[in-house]
This record gives sequence, C-alpha cells and structure tokens, in this order.
Amino acid sequence: MKKYFAAGKSLPRPDAIEKVTGRAIYGDDIKFANLLYGKVLRSTHAHAKIINIDIEKAKKFPGVKAVVTGKDLSHVLGGEAIMDYPFLAVGKVRYVGEPVAAVAAISEEIAEEALDLIDISYEELPPVFDPLKSMEEKAPLIHDKISSYKHIPVIKPIDNSNICHHVQFVNGDIEKGFKKSDHIFEDTFTTQRVHHGAIETHVAIAQYDPTGKITVWVNNDGPHRLRKDLSKAMGLSLRQIRIINAPYIGGGFGGKGGLKEETICIALAQKTQCRPVKISFNREEEFTSTITRHSSVVKMKTGVSKDGKILAREVKVVYDTGAYAEKGPTVTNQASVAAAGPYKIPNVKVDGYCVYTNKVIAGAYRGYGIPQVAWAHESQMDIIAKKLGIDPIEIRLKNVLSEGDICPTGRQVMHSIGLKECIKKIKKDIKLIEYHDKNIGKGIACAFKNTKTPSGSSAIVKINSDGTAEILTSSIEEGQGPKIILAQILAEELHLSVDNITVSSPDTDLTPFDASSTSSRTTFHMGNAVKKAAEDAKQQLLKIASELFKVNNREVKMENGKFFVKQNPSKTMSIAEVVTSRYGAGMDIMGRGSYFPEVVGEKGGMWAAPSIFWMYAAHEAEVKVDKETGRVTVLKVRAAHDVGKAINPMTCEGQIDGGVVHGMGPALFEEVIFDKNGEVANPSFLDYKIPSALDMPEISSFMIEKHHKQGPYGAKGIGEMTLVPTAAAISNAIYDATGVRIKDLPITPEKILNAIKKKDI
Amino acid sequence: MDRLININLNINNEKYDLSVKPNTLLLDLLRDEIGLTGTKRGCDTGECGACTVLIDGVPVNSCIVLAVEVDGKNITTIEGLSHNGKLHPIQETFIEKGAVQCGFCTPGMILSAKALIDNNPDPTEQDIKVAIAGNLCRCTGYKKIIEAISAAAERMRRRE
Amino acid sequence: MLRKLKEFEYFAPKTIPEAISLLDQYQGKAKLFAGGTDVLIQMKQRKLIPEYLIDVKNIDGLNYLKYNTDEGLKIGAYVTHGILANSEIVQEKYTALAEGSLAVGSVQTRNRGTIVGNICTSSPSADTPPSLIAFDANIKLISIEGERVVKITDFFLNPFKNCMKENELITEIQLSDLPPNTGSAYLWLPKITALDETLVGVGLVLTLNNIEEKVCTNIRIGLGSVSPMPMRANNTEEFIKGKSIDDSVIKEAAEIASKETSPRSRAEYRKEMVSVYVKRALNKALERIK
Repeated sequence: MKKYFAAGKSLPRPDAIEKVTGRAIYGDDIKFANLLYGKVLRSTHAHAKIINIDIEKAKKFPGVKAVVTGKDLSHVLGGEAIMDYPFLAVGKVRYVGEPVAAVAAISEEIAEEALDLIDISYEELPPVFDPLKSMEEKAPLIHDKISSYKHIPVIKPIDNSNICHHVQFVNGDIEKGFKKSDHIFEDTFTTQRVHHGAIETHVAIAQYDPTGKITVWVNNDGPHRLRKDLSKAMGLSLRQIRIINAPYIGGGFGGKGGLKEETICIALAQKTQCRPVKISFNREEEFTSTITRHSSVVKMKTGVSKDGKILAREVKVVYDTGAYAEKGPTVTNQASVAAAGPYKIPNVKVDGYCVYTNKVIAGAYRGYGIPQVAWAHESQMDIIAKKLGIDPIEIRLKNVLSEGDICPTGRQVMHSIGLKECIKKIKKDIKLIEYHDKNIGKGIACAFKNTKTPSGSSAIVKINSDGTAEILTSSIEEGQGPKIILAQILAEELHLSVDNITVSSPDTDLTPFDASSTSSRTTFHMGNAVKKAAEDAKQQLLKIASELFKVNNREVKMENGKFFVKQNPSKTMSIAEVVTSRYGAGMDIMGRGSYFPEVVGEKGGMWAAPSIFWMYAAHEAEVKVDKETGRVTVLKVRAAHDVGKAINPMTCEGQIDGGVVHGMGPALFEEVIFDKNGEVANPSFLDYKIPSALDMPEISSFMIEKHHKQGPYGAKGIGEMTLVPTAAAISNAIYDATGVRIKDLPITPEKILNAIKKKDI
Repeated sequence: MDRLININLNINNEKYDLSVKPNTLLLDLLRDEIGLTGTKRGCDTGECGACTVLIDGVPVNSCIVLAVEVDGKNITTIEGLSHNGKLHPIQETFIEKGAVQCGFCTPGMILSAKALIDNNPDPTEQDIKVAIAGNLCRCTGYKKIIEAISAAAERMRRRE
Repeated sequence: MLRKLKEFEYFAPKTIPEAISLLDQYQGKAKLFAGGTDVLIQMKQRKLIPEYLIDVKNIDGLNYLKYNTDEGLKIGAYVTHGILANSEIVQEKYTALAEGSLAVGSVQTRNRGTIVGNICTSSPSADTPPSLIAFDANIKLISIEGERVVKITDFFLNPFKNCMKENELITEIQLSDLPPNTGSAYLWLPKITALDETLVGVGLVLTLNNIEEKVCTNIRIGLGSVSPMPMRANNTEEFIKGKSIDDSVIKEAAEIASKETSPRSRAEYRKEMVSVYVKRALNKALERIK
C-alpha cells in the first residue's frame, strides 16, 4: 500500500480555531459604513394577479432610502435550469411568501415599519397545491407560457402545462422483463417537503460602483455560478459582477445556492446611489421564502425471479418544485438516473416529472432528489425480500452493481463500486447476539448517488519564497472541510506542512472558476485542480532547481519536499532554497491547475453527461418502537460509505455522523406543513423540529476505500450520500419491530399506531 | 418613548458603561454595539441556541434577553473564553475531536458545555445531551461534540 | 410574523407597591415579564404590542423557594424552572412539579423562564399547570386594591386567558404539605422530538392508606394539552378514590380519563395517549410511595 505524507490523516481543520474562538466571519458579521438595511414585503396569496402596488407612503417615511417593486426589474428573469424567476414578482404572485416589494432604510426597524405602509391589491386566481392535480390538463397554469422561458439544453418543459421537465430513461425491454418475472411488485411511496435547517440564515450585501459594476457579499455555495446566473438574468458581462463570499457559511445543505436574498438586494442597490444594502433573512423567511427539499410521489413496479433477481423495474417519479423551477428540473434529472437503485437490472424504464405548484420553491437539498427514490426502492426491496423469504442483506448482495456493470438506466459503465464491501462490513458488525425485545427491529438499506457532470474547477497554488503556500480557490467552506482537504492535497504533493498552507475564500475577481461547492464534488474536482496546480508549480521548481544544480532538467528529482540530482541524493535543496536562490525574496512560484472531466456520452452541457463518479453506501438502523404510543427511538445506525479514499478520515466521519442524524429527522418527523391557503404553517424551530442531541442514535461509521481511477489518490465524494439510505433503513427497522410498513414519510407515531391497529383487526 | 437607559455591566471581564434603548436585545448589543460577533443569530425565538451567552455563569439565549435586563451582570461570550491566546480546554477538544463543522452553533455549544462542566465536572453522556439539547446543530450529528465535551471535562479534572 | 421589537418604555420596580402602582397607572398598556421566554417572543411575533414593559426581576422578596411542614411549599414569582427542577426539596416532596419544570424547553429556557410566567401565559400545553392542579396549588395575587388568593383550578379561563386583572401581579404560588404514603409524577409526551411542545401532560398526586392495602385515600390528576385549558380529571379521581389500586383499576381509570378530555388537533391520538399516560403516571406514583 502506498505511504502517504498527508493524505489519509485525521488532521484538525485550520478553520476550527477561528470558529471556537468566535473570530470566524460569517455573512451577517460583515458591515460597512453607510450601510442600508433591506426588508421584503411578501405575497399573502398563493396565486393572484397584482392589480396595484402603492409605495408612495413608504417612500416618504423618514429614514427610507429606496423602495422597489417588480416593475423596476420587469425585464429580468433568472434561474439556473429554466429562466422563470423574477427578482420581485411581476404581474402575478405564485406562492405565499414570494417577494413583491422591498424597502431599504437606515435601520431594520424603519425598513420593517415602511413595509406596513405599502398597499397591494390582488385579484385571486385559483391555486393548485397538489403536484398530481397540477399535472392534469384542466389545472390552472402557474406559468402561462413555459416555452417562452430560456432553459438549458438538457431540460424539456412541456408547453401549456405545469410540467417544467419530463425526462425518460429506457434500458432493455421493460415489458419482456416483466413477462419473464415470477413476481411483480407495485408500490407507491410519497415523501414530504423538508427544510434544510441550516442554523445560519441567508445574508447578502449588494453595492453598485459608479461604473455600474455590482459587488455582492454573500453566503452562497457557488459564487461563480451565482455570477453567471446574475449575468445571464441581468444582461451584464461577468466582469461587471463581483461575488465575494463570506469566509464561512453557517451550513448550507443545498439551501444556499439559488437566487434569493441576493436578487432583492441588487434590486434595492440599484436605487441607493452606490450605498450598500444588506438583507439578512430571519428564521421565518428561511421557511416561507427560500427553498425546501422536493416532496415526491414515487411509483415503483418491479419484476423479480423466484430466487430474488431483479429482472425489470419501472419507476415514475413526480417532484413538486413549487412556484418556480429553481433546481427542480436538474434534481429530477439526476434522481431519475438513479431511481432504479444501485442494482444490476437488465430492463429499466424511468419517467421523471418536475411539476410547478403554488407553494414555496423546492430546490437543491443534500442528496439532490435521490433520498426520495432511495427510500422507495429500498422500502420495496424489503417488501420483495419478505415475500420471497430471502434475508434483506442477501437479496441486496445478490443484486448490487459490480465493477464494469451497466448503470441500470443504461447510461454508462460503472467503475469503483464499493457497495458490496459496505454491506458486508455492516453484516459483519451486526452482533450475533439478538435483541430479546419484541419492540426492537433492524433494517438495512443501500443506495448510490451521482455528481453533476461535466463541471469544472480551477485552482492556483502560490509558493512563497519561504516555502509556505496559498491555494486560491472558489470552493466555499460551509462545514464540509475544503480548507483542510485541499491543504492536505497540496501538502501531499509538495510535502509541505498543512500549517504552512492557507486556503483562500472565494472572490470572483480574484479566485479562479469553480462550478460550485455542491454535488459532493469539491474533493474530487477541486482536489484534482489543486493537485494539477501543485504539479505545475513542482515542474517550475524542478526547472529552476536543475539550473541551480547546473544539470539537465530530467536529472533532478523532488522527493519528500527536497530537490536533488539523481546521482547525488545527499545534496538537497528545499523549496524555499530553490525559490530564494533564484529570485531572492523578490518572486513567488505560481502553479495553475484546471480540472474538467473527460466523459464520453451525450453532449448538452452540465448535467447531460454520465456521472464522473458515483458514491455508494449502506446504512443499518436499529429502532425501538413503543407500541402504546407509536413513538420510535433510533437506538443505533451503522453507516458504511465507499469514499474512494478518505483524505481526512475524521472529516469523513463527521460527514457521516451528521448525515445520519440529518437523515433521521425527515424519516421520522420533519415536515414543512402547508395550510389550506398554501402558506407554511410551521415556519419556526418551535414548530419545525430538527433533531437535538437528545434525539440522536449511537452511530458507527465505516469507510470503504474503493479506488477511483480519476479521483485524487482515488477519492470520490461523500457529503450528500450520508443521508441517502437512512430513511429506508429506519423504515425497514420499524417494519421489523412492528410488522407494519408505512409508505409515506415522515413515519409519525400516529401512522405507526394506526397501522398496528389495522394489522391487529 | 425613545428614552435611553444607562447600564453598567461586565463583558468578558471588561467594564462597560452604556446607554441602550429599551428594545435593544442583548444579542444586538453584543453584535452591533460592542462588536462581539462571535455570538450568532439563528432563530430569534430562543429555539436554536446559537446566541447562547452566560449571564453570571448561567447559559441563556441572548436573542430573548433585553440589554436593560443585564445591568450589573457579568456576561461571558465566546470571545471571553480564551485568555492571552491560551484556549479553554473545551475549545481545544472541539478542535482536536473534529467537533466543528460549519461552526455556526459552535460558540453557543461551547458556552453551554462550559456552564455544564463548571457545575458538574464529571458529566455523563446523558448529562451532556441534556445540557446541549437547546443548541441545535445541523452538521455534526452531535457525536463528536459530545466526545469533545467529555474529553474536555476529563482534561479539566486532570489539570485541577 | 417575525419582526424586530417595537419600541416600548421599560420599568424595573424595586418594590411590590411600586410595581402595582405602575400596573394600575398603565392598565391595559403594560405587560409584566420576568424570564421573557414567552413575552419577548410574542412581542417579536407582534402578538403582543405593549407600550410599557414591567420587569419583576428586581422586586425585593420575590425570589424565594421556602418549605416547612406547616405551610408547605411557597414559590416566589421569580423562581425559574431551572431552580425548581434542581431543588432537592421539590424533587423529593413535590416530584411531579420538579418534573413539570424539567419538561419546559431547553436548559437556556429553564434558566430564564419562571413557573409564574408559565401560568400567566396560560397556554393549554404548558407543563407546570397539570402538577399544580394535582398539588391543589393556590395563587396569590396583589393589586392596589389588595391581595387575593385563587385556586389553580379557578385560575385558567380559556386558552391563553386567565382570571388575572390587568392591574394584578402574582407574588406567590402555594402548595400545602403532603400526607404520608403520597407519591406524585408528571409524565409528558412531546409532540414529536425529545425537546418539543407537550402533546399530552399528566400530573398526578396519589395518597394511599398504606402500602400494603393500596387503598386510595386521595388523588388529584391534572391534564395538560388535551382541552382548551389545563384541566382536572374529576371523574377519574372519583372513580379511583376509595379503591385498592391494582392493574384493573388503573386500566379503567385510564379509559375514564381519556373520555374526560377534549383535545382539538390530533384529537384521536391525544385521547388515546391520555389513557397511556394516566396509566403510566399512576404506576410511577405508586412506585414512589414508600
């Protein structure tokens, strides 16, 4: 096995010291002299025409510096997949909570008071809240003409409907497959809207300069993507927009990636004569007016042979994306690719629909649509195992993908698959001693997840004259750990101490391109970019060293951070010696690295190509059910993840621990509830509960390292994968304990109790 | 109505004589007027614990405390935990054990842990869970936080 | 709606006369507060917009917790849930009350929130009223018109409404001493997570003739979150009184209790859980009689 210098070590993260001392700067900690504060007036209707907005009184209110409405930006539409999103509502509102007008004032209190002075008259339109009803022909149209919106090539909206994307994947012959099957299973599973629950809210500050260039300070998970989206929406060049990320983001989980507070801030800043405007959402706005996870309806029909081989699977999945497409279409696309599960299935057909409704927008959420389908295929896997009398672990081992298999949706040959090892690791760890308690049950589930492909990342490595270094990168630090991972990669390449490496924060004027810090792509993509940049710097250093040693370039080697001539390894020079011998302290060495995956497959830009890597995991849950109350206590979760290579095992473990608890909440209790008017009824942490320390199970995490040919040291991603199989593992354990199967999340005590009663009758 | 009220208080062992509006929250006083931004705003309604500070050693949510209420009190914020660059043992173990991810809950979490260990030098896992139940964390799953608090308590017992 | 706090005038009276004269002066426009865990949040939500806020924390002689066998337990108006939950005498003698205070929120909330504040808010799902009903607590009120004492069962009028007049202040909660062979318990079912609003709360005080015969000489049961306001389970008490407590009595009592309640949301489940929790609380109280 290869000996590594820095990769594979559980080094503490450099940002931790700032965070434990309270010195770490987040979005809301950024302030400027002359700062104005923005507040947003939001729609009180789910679907209504805007008849009139009277802002005169608000404009005259002392301390108010600007008031904007959709009229001021009526030509502007944004959106990553489909450009359907106005910065402020134009003509009509499409959900309760949609921004309609905004005020900038010298204090938050004054801005809030001024909001009360804005008068809006609406004419109500019939709303539609249920995604299945929204797909019907007679449903009221939420967007009059989808075909008039620009969209990326991979997305296929259906005109004169509320379906903003339909995708189909076919592999083999589904009908033949069902005919050959001994048993056919048909089930429908549904999932609820879930909120990201990052503890930090959305914050932005926008400021124009006199040339018309906008600078936005923000806590966004993709600064270059944000710049691109704003530039497309506003018709500005990329140079005219500068995104400076707050050094730290207080949790994202996909929730901080769209156009939300930034756009309103910009709208206000256009009217403040170059004064900066800050908008800091409160917790209520987080729930009512940012984004949630998509709710879903998953219909799954599966044909299996007597011995438990899956022969055919047909999936229809409908995602409710709310009033605007946001990332819904690409969520639907990515999840549809994975909807048949991590199994070798010869005949597959998947139909994915992304549907508008008059509800708060759904967008990216850790797992990108796959937790929903994984819950469905893993619940059904247990139904099949039970019916066929096969052990749930064995039926999975019998069907899971192996190296060289075709992805069930037929799009690619799979490589680096550690799923069998994950399942076997868990199987081994489950104690042979059985619980002697009829209220305790066990359940297993496994899954896989892709990453958005192709997408690029670039990095610059600066080697200072004293041998210390900086990495210029646009990867964001939102807890997932790039500041230590990228430092470890550079340290590995040049044998530097991570203590001598600084990893930058993003600033689109200064740091090179990165598609986004999402899709569990940073270690793989930015990691490769840093590795290449290090190699570029190393080649430059080798060239200088050969000049200094007065030998041919090819005769100099670098090992353990030292340069020497191959024939005379005893005489060495350090990196600092090489740089200073050549330049004194008057120069640095700058290495450049860009990574853009080479993938075979269909054209069509980002999201269109087969995934450059897949993540695999298996979770096993042990639960105790109080059969009098229906309450579930999750006692233990075993989580095994194929990470390719754990560059920092402690950070990987942290991702797994967090993902397990994050996966448990939506399985058992988390749910964004809508009232009959489509308004979020539980927009606070009092009414929308996320797990506290008192709810967490015991967690055992295992890392499987199945080398990926293109990953840095074989590494893949992990972050999103950590919550994907959790809900199904818990659901299967509840079934094991009670004999009842709940097919709609969350699995609340009432649902369990009612099902137990029905079963007993 | 906009009458200012004078208050004298100690923040991290420094004396402050201040004039505050009655509706100024302790959280806003600390963040906006004193410039101690280590105390975080998460929910504004005392549910998430990100704004936890110690008043005379007792953890409270500063988003639902008025500045005028802390006249004459000793306030400890996260900035007051390390002295002359020397970290508090809880800060040390949070770094070592990987208990920090996004870091937004970390200041409040550490202060709740400090109040716990100051009163209960040898807390059980359940004691720790109860003590930090009011500090929500979406990143870590709490496991490494609990390990860090337990390790800090042990380190503090050994040092005494 | 969640907003910044509107402006108000703040008073921190040092004496009771000072406090009640302020209350009298600003009747209807003033709001009392101690821990602020309810009041300040409601003000941010614009459910309350007082012009004057009167802080009771600086009033001399409201911060006490006293117990003696003659007078029982006296709780001053500025006693927090944290103090009650951690008090040895409360834990030992008035276990159900210590448990009720422990059920309130997080450590941070218990450190600020007071039991008097809890009953002033008069939420149907509050955690201390069921135990206060079970202990037959008296509430002492004062205004410029004088003092009066109200039984806890007469205190609550409607959801979030009670019998306090706009110029009144609660100074004390009184619980009498308990006879021998008495045990108490407060058990609560949170809505969903461990730290959550209470879906069903059962506070119960049980007295037996002796531990061998287990004949109930007295019982009081307070129920929370299952009716428009905290309620006493009269029929259930009647049924149990005089009977020797065994599993079949407990089972039947649990069913009677369920029928007494009238929860609004999640009604069927709550009613069923009343049975489960009355049963469990009776068993818990029995266990505690030594």
